[in-house]
Amino acid sequence: MACHLAGFKKLPMENFTNDTIDTTQLPKFEQVPMSGLHRSYWKVILINIAILLIVFCAVYVFTFAYIEELDQYHTETAVGLAILMFLITVFSRIGYKKKGFAFREHDVLFRHGVIATNTMVIPYNRIQHVALHEGLIPRLFGLVKIEIFTAGGHSSDIEIPGIEKMQAQNIKQLLMGKIQKEL
Amino acid sequence: MQSYFNEPQRQSSIGVLVMFLDTMRHYAKALWPVLLIWVFKFDELNKPYLFLGIAAVFILIAIIAYLRYRNFTYYLDYENDEFVINEGIFNKTKTAIQLDKIQQVNINQSLIQKIIGVYALDVDTAGSNNKEGEIKAISHPIAVELKARLLDNSSRNRVALHNSTTEILSEENTPFIKISLLSLLKVGITSNYIKSFSLLLFFFFTASENINKLTGRDVFEQKNINNIDDYVNQNALITVFLIGLVSLFIIVLMINLVRIVFRYFDYKITKQKGSLLLSYGLLNTKNTIIKPEKVQITGVSRNYFQKKMNILEIKIKQATSGSKEERKSVIDIPGCNEFERDEILKLLFHQIPQKGVMLTPNFRKLGFALFLTIGLPLIGFYFFEKYNPEVGMAVNYLIPIYVIFVGVVQFFKFRNYRLFIHDDFIIKQSGAWDISNEIIEPSKIQAITTSQLFWHKSIGIGTLTLHTAGGNIAFQLGNFETIKQYVNLWLYEIETSDSNWM
Repeated sequence: MACHLAGFKKLPMENFTNDTIDTTQLPKFEQVPMSGLHRSYWKVILINIAILLIVFCAVYVFTFAYIEELDQYHTETAVGLAILMFLITVFSRIGYKKKGFAFREHDVLFRHGVIATNTMVIPYNRIQHVALHEGLIPRLFGLVKIEIFTAGGHSSDIEIPGIEKMQAQNIKQLLMGKIQKEL
Repeated sequence: MQSYFNEPQRQSSIGVLVMFLDTMRHYAKALWPVLLIWVFKFDELNKPYLFLGIAAVFILIAIIAYLRYRNFTYYLDYENDEFVINEGIFNKTKTAIQLDKIQQVNINQSLIQKIIGVYALDVDTAGSNNKEGEIKAISHPIAVELKARLLDNSSRNRVALHNSTTEILSEENTPFIKISLLSLLKVGITSNYIKSFSLLLFFFFTASENINKLTGRDVFEQKNINNIDDYVNQNALITVFLIGLVSLFIIVLMINLVRIVFRYFDYKITKQKGSLLLSYGLLNTKNTIIKPEKVQITGVSRNYFQKKMNILEIKIKQATSGSKEERKSVIDIPGCNEFERDEILKLLFHQIPQKGVMLTPNFRKLGFALFLTIGLPLIGFYFFEKYNPEVGMAVNYLIPIYVIFVGVVQFFKFRNYRLFIHDDFIIKQSGAWDISNEIIEPSKIQAITTSQLFWHKSIGIGTLTLHTAGGNIAFQLGNFETIKQYVNLWLYEIETSDSNWM
């Protein structure tokens, strides 16, 4: 037995430990404080909603101008449209409030959702690449979207909108550094 | 014999025949509705013209086949270290495969090739699942010689040149698992009822539509007349219905049987340098390699009948390398027995996966499923009946059958819905009739999502989704505290090790 063991490469015994992991003592992802999106991002959302409203109104005006049989439903449609826009605004507000992100030492967390609270965690050593996306309207406010891709396909990618450009570039640098190190 | 293959050369001359049959198969596949019409309208057609037409088609196919044969050449380009295939009649294609990228060279025979006495040679490279190069008809000595050349050159840059090639040649002759025709028959009668049924429906509809279009006769119309006559007599209707159901069931069974035998005939699994090499198929042989490190999700599934007959099905999802087009490749191994399953699992995981701590879903999962599959349809039916009382009354007696059937299915689905967590494996069990176990290793996880609806917060239940490169595994409405604890543990494991997920 002893001579069998001698054939193995000697492990540095003093540095090697194999204690049982106390799972209750592990860092808890659910208790990480999340930073919210930039305040200007709410304005971006409002502008988007306004554009949607304009489109709806245009459709509304045109349909009622050309189809006369619909005349009796004028008020109902208007009220319906108003309720719809109100709901969209409320849900967007909830969605905006709930979105949050955190960069830990070894992974990135992203929280989102409206009626559900979804928290996605991607360890840095699973990130394939990172991209910054500048939309037309967010650009007016100097905001960009960070896209973090893994090999798990579309469902396991994180897209964090509403980050200031400078900060986003810093984050990208940080992530690239982490990826390099992990490799 | 030209053993250097440095000059462009053609396939065996008998290869014309293979090309002919292959081309014919392609056209038959595309034109089967038209062929069906011909068969149906056989009496009405002008016979001489028909035979003339058929002869013309055959001659055309023969010419195409001959040109395909003439224009197909392959050679080894030693200057660029490439294997080059030229093909095509009008659109010429030149495929150049770098020799050091070649992973696999397979020599196979489909049924047609077996009858004619030639062999096919496929070349696989790293980084994709479809075969890059295929030669359809060459003689066995040339195939072996070419294979040796290709592998010899491809492994020139690697270590252990001669060992690996000889190993391949010796190993290849002894598949360690062979799935017999009997097992396939067993699989055929016990699986895929829904798939075969929908295939049958699809076939029926396309066929009837095509017949309608071209003959102007409506297949359904005649049936409807019959139905209305029978409608007077409820008993007769039920008998017809039952007979129809039984015969439909038998047809489904037969189709499934034929489909499975055609698809998986002569299923062989060979070990090769730690990978599994699969080959199967009656008409065209398919070849696939499974590399254990690329495997993401392994599914083992079987139903009650299959358990009694000691067969099961293995589904393996591999990661497609890097490309964003998510063409997840699922590989089926039908009809293994338990011993063979353990052998395959041992090769993939180096040990037999164990089921660890069991998580069960909250009873609300069953409640919600019942609401979706029974509650909503009943509400819908209630309104339907309100507006169409006559039709509603006629099918009223089906409601209790539906409720009981779906209720039982949902109950078993709920009872089988489990997540087992072991140090090295996460196993998700699901299914009502076909019970499947999806196995992943924690190191294959790419990202983790936890999700909780706000009204579930106080009850402490939530959903876990594990994302891998071969798809997601989700477990709904489990104890959220336990889930979060395991998420923290998995994150810790992933982040502290540099384990390779691919």
